[in-house]
Amino acid sequence: MVEKRPVTVTVNGQVRQAEVEPRRTLADFLREDLNLPGTHLGCEHGVCGNCTVLLDGQSVRACLMFAVQADGHEILTVEGLVAPNGDLHPLQEAFWEHHALQCGFCTPAMLLTAYEYLQQHPVPGSDEEIREAIGGVLCRCTGYQNIVTAIRAAATKLTAAGPAPASRSVAD
Amino acid sequence: MAEPATTRPKWIGQSMKRVEDPRFLRGKGRYIDDIRLPNMAVAAILRSPHAHARIVRIDTSAAERLPGVYAVVTGQDVRARMAPLPTFAVGPIYQDLLAVEKVRHVGEAVAAVVAENRYIAEDACELIEVEYEPLPPVVDPFAAMEPGAPLVHEALGSNVAYQRTFTFGDFDRDFNEADHIVRAKLRWPRSSGMPMETNGAIGDYDEGTGILTIYANSMNFTYFQWLIATSLKIPASKLRVVPINAGGSFGSKFFMHKVPTLAGFLSMVAGRPVKFVEDRIDHILNNDHCGSDRYYDVALAVDRDGTMRALQIKVVDDYGAYLQFGTGTHGNALAQVVGPYRIPSVQYELTAVLTNKNQQGAYRGFGSEVNNWVLERMVDFAARELGLDPVAIRRKNFIRPEQFPYRTPTGNIYDSGNYEGVLDKALALAEYDRWVAERERARQEGRYLGIGIVTAQERSVFSSTEFWFWFDQPGFPVTSSPESATVTIDPTGKFIVTLHSLAFWGNSPETVATQVVAEQFDIDPADVVVTYAASQRALPGTGPGGSRFTVMVTGALVGASGRLKEKIKKIAAHRLEVSPEDLEFHQGSVRVKGSPERALTLSEIALSAYMFKLDLPEDVESGLEASYTFDHPYTTLPSPDRKDLGVFYPFMGHACHIAVVEVDPETGQFTWHKYAAVADAGTVVNPMTLDGHLTGGTAQGLGTALYEEYVYDDRGQMLTASFMDYLVPTAMEVPRIDIDHQETPSPYTPYGIKGAGEGGRMMAPGVITAALEDALAPLGVRITELPITPAKLVRWIAEAKARGQAPTA
Amino acid sequence: MKPPVFDYRAPVSVEETQQALAEYQADGKLLAGGQSLVPMLNMRLARPAVLIDINRVTELAFVRADDGGLTIGALTRQQALLEHPTVQERWPLLAEATRHIGHRTIRNRGTVGGSLAHADPAAELPAVMLALDAVVTVSSTRGERQIPARDFVVDYLTTALEPTELLRSVWVPALPPRTGWAFQEVSRRHGDFALVAVAALVTLDAAGVCTDARLVLTGVGPTPVPVDLRQTLIGAAPSPAAVAAAAEAAQAAVDPPSDVHAPAEYRRHLARVLARRALTTAIERAGGTE
Repeated sequence: MVEKRPVTVTVNGQVRQAEVEPRRTLADFLREDLNLPGTHLGCEHGVCGNCTVLLDGQSVRACLMFAVQADGHEILTVEGLVAPNGDLHPLQEAFWEHHALQCGFCTPAMLLTAYEYLQQHPVPGSDEEIREAIGGVLCRCTGYQNIVTAIRAAATKLTAAGPAPASRSVAD
Repeated sequence: MAEPATTRPKWIGQSMKRVEDPRFLRGKGRYIDDIRLPNMAVAAILRSPHAHARIVRIDTSAAERLPGVYAVVTGQDVRARMAPLPTFAVGPIYQDLLAVEKVRHVGEAVAAVVAENRYIAEDACELIEVEYEPLPPVVDPFAAMEPGAPLVHEALGSNVAYQRTFTFGDFDRDFNEADHIVRAKLRWPRSSGMPMETNGAIGDYDEGTGILTIYANSMNFTYFQWLIATSLKIPASKLRVVPINAGGSFGSKFFMHKVPTLAGFLSMVAGRPVKFVEDRIDHILNNDHCGSDRYYDVALAVDRDGTMRALQIKVVDDYGAYLQFGTGTHGNALAQVVGPYRIPSVQYELTAVLTNKNQQGAYRGFGSEVNNWVLERMVDFAARELGLDPVAIRRKNFIRPEQFPYRTPTGNIYDSGNYEGVLDKALALAEYDRWVAERERARQEGRYLGIGIVTAQERSVFSSTEFWFWFDQPGFPVTSSPESATVTIDPTGKFIVTLHSLAFWGNSPETVATQVVAEQFDIDPADVVVTYAASQRALPGTGPGGSRFTVMVTGALVGASGRLKEKIKKIAAHRLEVSPEDLEFHQGSVRVKGSPERALTLSEIALSAYMFKLDLPEDVESGLEASYTFDHPYTTLPSPDRKDLGVFYPFMGHACHIAVVEVDPETGQFTWHKYAAVADAGTVVNPMTLDGHLTGGTAQGLGTALYEEYVYDDRGQMLTASFMDYLVPTAMEVPRIDIDHQETPSPYTPYGIKGAGEGGRMMAPGVITAALEDALAPLGVRITELPITPAKLVRWIAEAKARGQAPTA
Repeated sequence: MKPPVFDYRAPVSVEETQQALAEYQADGKLLAGGQSLVPMLNMRLARPAVLIDINRVTELAFVRADDGGLTIGALTRQQALLEHPTVQERWPLLAEATRHIGHRTIRNRGTVGGSLAHADPAAELPAVMLALDAVVTVSSTRGERQIPARDFVVDYLTTALEPTELLRSVWVPALPPRTGWAFQEVSRRHGDFALVAVAALVTLDAAGVCTDARLVLTGVGPTPVPVDLRQTLIGAAPSPAAVAAAAEAAQAAVDPPSDVHAPAEYRRHLARVLARRALTTAIERAGGTE
């Protein structure tokens, strides 16, 4: 038996601590140890991207990291996109408005990937560029079109509202 | 049942935002893997590495000794305690939850481990020793039909599980009289729904009461809850199945019973709640719902002017190792085998073959998407061989609007349609004429621009007869496929809708129910909450499949609403001292027609219904709740000689898709110029969600046509057992899709709705095939198989060039 | 799909890393970005006793350019490399090839050193480093050595690295003036590994004579395949015929595998087509007219 290691991470603005086996993936750690099941496992071999979270503001696949590797880092999951008062983030609102989700399983990963993209491109490029940005997350329901529309709509709202979206994001 | 309101709908037809969405947007979807019960254990499965082998010995002792392991079970345990799994197959093709004497495909479940967590369960699987005696595998379905081929099921005595030829209409006359026969051999490979969330279940056996609760992301448990109980050898009254939000299905969770049965069984064995959720490899290797895997030999008899006379289809379907769902996927195809065309006679020969592969089941289209692709291929070949325009030949053969209801040669009725209307809209939407001119210019410049068009059917609302009309003496000739709903108004006047056997899987059951109930009562949709009944037992239901959900649940809701409205009117009439016929529902209240000031709010009526019995008419019981079970509105039995299969899929949607692409003939890659789709699904309940289905289905159809394939090598090893090799399209592979609708209501359904959940996937494979072929038409390429990969395109171009250069006699 | 048991070390310096490698020898496996290794762990296709995670060895994450060339620390994330303004300006081939690696989320984690050390036969970076005539610096407790990129990948998923050695950095020489470049790739889906990819560099002199040309293919065999262009392009002003001959040479140089995504025949065909296109573009960018 390999001994467990202490891990301290800041998740959605909160410091969380746990002891984990080295082989425990970041995804399982978030879902089961920290009770944040919004990070979904679609393939566990780094293709579907459905487990995407932000690590220090950068998108990563939580099935391809071990929890021990996140020690000392900051993580944003879909649960952290929601404002402290419970309001949906403008991206979440736009996904709702434009029917950018059907089964909802890839939605957390899509939201976080879009979030990262809009942080770097507050004024989004062409549809092709938005599609490339979300190309690492597989969606089986929507055919992606409404996701592209929603991201563009959210960008318009966010740039109109000013640079700081109301969220507990660590990446702002 | 009550008739829908005749006034212009207020909520039906609105692009209402989905009421399901907030929980998913917040990451609070409560999918099966998010649920943790106290004391819950987790299971993993050891799977066969062999395509075909006898199980000589299994030693689980090392696995059992691993700390954290609670139970290890094998086929012997299953055989001792359970009955075989349910099947639509006729003949000795039995399937056990875990393989018993032999394994019949790579990935078949051999043993299951219950442990503290999935990590330990997988560690333990590695410690199970299985001694196999490999048997020669049979992989190719044609080799499987040869005498002396290894048998997948020895007791059957053959690998041909089913073979029969059906003839509809005066086929011989029509076929022989036609001027020209168009022939083709076509190949449709195996793919599958591949939802982002896999199948999963939690079993929770209560030793005290003997009640087994199974939480599952299955679509339609109510229909077969009793079958799970039968497999588990427990009384159906002691099995409670709780539907859980599913992260997509597309067929993969339709009739999903194996995973729930396993979780239930393991819970009973381990004496604690047990979760089993497939990982992606579990899902690819052994999900029960791979799509069709067919080899066609087709002949379309046509006259010189393009008139279609007869259609002959000979199809060999490689069903894999089990025939659990029978040959229903061909029954489905027979519902619309002639497409939108006036083809008077049909011959259909089906050979269902067993091989050492995973079994087939449902995938969006359920076999009809294959027939659409085949028929549209044949129409394009006919156009080319006769020198006719692909649009003109379709237009010429369309069933005319005045011919509905139209009886097709198989006996199925098409309720309504206006195919030329859809076609014209699509041609306009796609700017067809402009692209035809553009194609000419491109060809002069040596570029390969192509236009594809399909005009095809989407049958909706299946009747169960398609599963058994194959047999003269069917084992279980089921004829029911109902759906139920309960509408409750609570004492404060708020609405609770309960759906039975309809789980959420990405469709919009709660939004549809909300819109229909808001329409029925003229209330604010915000006042409606939708819940799902757990089965022990829910009202009769069948579940979403065959594009039946919206039609059927609307029928149930309209029925339940009618009953409830009658009661409300009775109470209100009593209190307002008028006759019930004088009352109408208006914006959350009931008022007297012509005297709008004489009204009671629904909250007032509700409170009295629950709390003031003495204010109610004497014959009215307390409470406000009504249920309704809506049976299929139009289905008939097949004739004994099976020359007429009866009415089994009558609500006929239609669509025209048009694609424009440009091929790089050197690399075989292509770029999109245009994708336009016009659908006719009768009355549209929610245009936004319908468009969502259409777009997503189209993306899946493009996956089938271009990227996805389950590949087995000649030893039966699976070569595409991960997402690195099974290629689901990303956002970069799916084009922008322009959508328009036409609404030709069904005369037989509530509000005139037709189903449309499968539409995109029923059209997209055909249209992209046609567009690529058209692009390469100057080179003489003819496309007869999927998926169309760049490597194949380059090969076909080279072969066509070689043919073109070959000296002709 | 969960990884097997392993022990875990997270050194914070090169020195500690070298010591850990020396301690565990073949039992130890370096973990960098993990985008190839962790899937293999999750599928239990790899089972090292100890993972030596170098993600905290921050001294290995750097990009430095001077007149002589570019030095890239092994822990440099692929996304950081492709976004680096100097890389984009002076080594656009490197930026362009890196853009073809997976998706942004993969590149956020994936490292330059990890890609080279893993040496996937369809990976972009080993091929491009070969085309750029890069030199890899590796070290262990026994000292440091340089390995030219052409000697680095020796076989399928196998490099010249000893089990106790750490890939520290890769040096890319400055490109001569009038050097054109191109990178061409065909993959099944966007972001997939290449079925075939081609990196090309062409240098012309003031008179338009090709003084140097390099062409490397990936996805066509166990290792990247360089094509000798001395007989076809180098030494004369490039002509369409010369480019065609070079493309033929590329096709002749490869012996690609067949797999579920493409037969060998198609890859051979692509080798020629992509070589021709890449060389044509590179010549144009070098200022030549072909």
